[in-house]
Amino acid sequence: MAMKTNYKITKKDFNQINRRNLFFNQLGWNYEKMQGSGYLFIMLPQLRKLYGDHTPELKKAMKTHNQFFNTNPSVNTIIQGIDLAIESKEGIESLETVSGLKTGLMGPLAAIGDSIFASLLPAILGAIAANMAVQGNPFGLLIWLVANFIIMYIRWIQLPLAYREGTTLVTKMQGRLNALTDAATLLGVYVVGALVATLISIQVPFVAHIGKVTVTLQNEIDMILPKLVPGLLVGLIYWLLGRKKMTSTKAIFIVIIVAIVCSALGILGKG
Amino acid sequence: MHGDIMIWQVLLLTLYSMYQIWDDLTIVSSLSQPVWAGLIAGAIMGDVTKGLIIGGSLQLTVLGVGTFGGSSKIDANSGTILATAFSISAGMNASTAVAAIGVPVASLMIETDILGRFTNTFFQHRIDRLIDEENYSAIERNYLYGVFPWMLSRGIPVFLALQFGGNFVSVAVKVLDTHLQWLSNGLAAAGALLPAVGFAILLRYLPVKKHIAYLILGFTLTALFSTLYTNVQTLGTTMAAVSKGFAGSFNSVSMVAIALIGLAFAINEYKKNVEKQQFTELASAYKNSTPENIEKNEEGEIYGDED
Repeated sequence: MAMKTNYKITKKDFNQINRRNLFFNQLGWNYEKMQGSGYLFIMLPQLRKLYGDHTPELKKAMKTHNQFFNTNPSVNTIIQGIDLAIESKEGIESLETVSGLKTGLMGPLAAIGDSIFASLLPAILGAIAANMAVQGNPFGLLIWLVANFIIMYIRWIQLPLAYREGTTLVTKMQGRLNALTDAATLLGVYVVGALVATLISIQVPFVAHIGKVTVTLQNEIDMILPKLVPGLLVGLIYWLLGRKKMTSTKAIFIVIIVAIVCSALGILGKG
Repeated sequence: MHGDIMIWQVLLLTLYSMYQIWDDLTIVSSLSQPVWAGLIAGAIMGDVTKGLIIGGSLQLTVLGVGTFGGSSKIDANSGTILATAFSISAGMNASTAVAAIGVPVASLMIETDILGRFTNTFFQHRIDRLIDEENYSAIERNYLYGVFPWMLSRGIPVFLALQFGGNFVSVAVKVLDTHLQWLSNGLAAAGALLPAVGFAILLRYLPVKKHIAYLILGFTLTALFSTLYTNVQTLGTTMAAVSKGFAGSFNSVSMVAIALIGLAFAINEYKKNVEKQQFTELASAYKNSTPENIEKNEEGEIYGDED
């Protein structure tokens, strides 16, 4: 009964999948199946070509690809590429394998993709752009835009690559990416250190009068270490974020309230 | 003049707020980031510099905040749009606008994000049904309808706030500037301090303990250099005012130069890691292949004897 498909995947198919992925991925995101219907939407034209319209095979394939799915949107087409390679070769028989592959790969790929494309790169590029922007310079925004177009290009070419290389691509990637991630996090930590020292313009306006001597507290602090106050405050917030039941949104509001109180008491002020 | 946002400005800002969420979900061009929101809202409102300052500050505040596994994140983009628009129209100080408008709006918008994601479940159910009916074009159509809950989750609140919030904000600014000076100062201090939260969140995601040496290095190097540069700048400006023959341009510390030093360390780390990896691969390959090689050699010998 096994019906092998005769359809050959062409460059046009890759382009169609890439277009659908680049412009429409995640539009159907919902709490029930997350990117589930998105996966189906991206693959649907190819599924129809592989299995033929109004066949029980196509219905089964559509149901398989409409299941829960969620991964990082910068790397998801790697899974689609591998899936396409298997399904175009093995046909309907392979759906169970493909299903397992999807759930098996979406976790690790989400971990790699999120750490690189959703946190590290936006943090570094965002820090550069914001650093220039607060001085009124929009050039950093342009750098970010260009960098993200390069990422779009990578997203475009990774689909045919995954189609050809299959699962070996993921294992091959992992080693090199680990080395790259480690080096990038080093740079990230270093840059955050530098940003703490430049972008938090806060100081201690407190002036003490002891007899005839006037002591400007900020001046004393600067003698120990310039930018000590911003450094200590970041350390304090870092500790705060590590506490149980603390969220970043809560921390932001706590900082606002504490800053208002400290400013009213004359301990902290805008530098 | 203050307090008024023209209807065309309201519409353009609303359109941008609807576009940015689509961009953020799909092509990720960076146009959905707060700095871009600052630039675009600033351009629409007629003060790009103020927009950049507000967008930059909110960008730094949410530096380490990302969406993982479909959780909603604080919507700093919409926060920037409203903070920029009201700050320019009502004449509010940029730092104050970040703390007083940007952050509260950004966190309130988490709720509409959740609502949008929830509404999309409706279209998901339709798709589930349409698969059984084998109606392919309807499946695709209903998938694409998902764009409406997403866009409206940003567009509606931004439009309503811009259209009806203007008077409220200009009254608030008046009160802040006259009777509540302490609160106004406090909000400005909070705005200046908010990037610290962004940096701390970011450090939570990074392996700080492993790279602690580089955190200290980056901080100390920059603290020293920036103080030095600022002092020289002050000196230069004062000298130029006193002596007419004194000429020279003084810039603030170059962050690119500081970053390049870090990059050098990162390149070293990468090379070290790759070498280490190749070594372990080689070692394990050697371990695995040795017995086989011996077997092959033995077989070879046997065949050789037979001949």
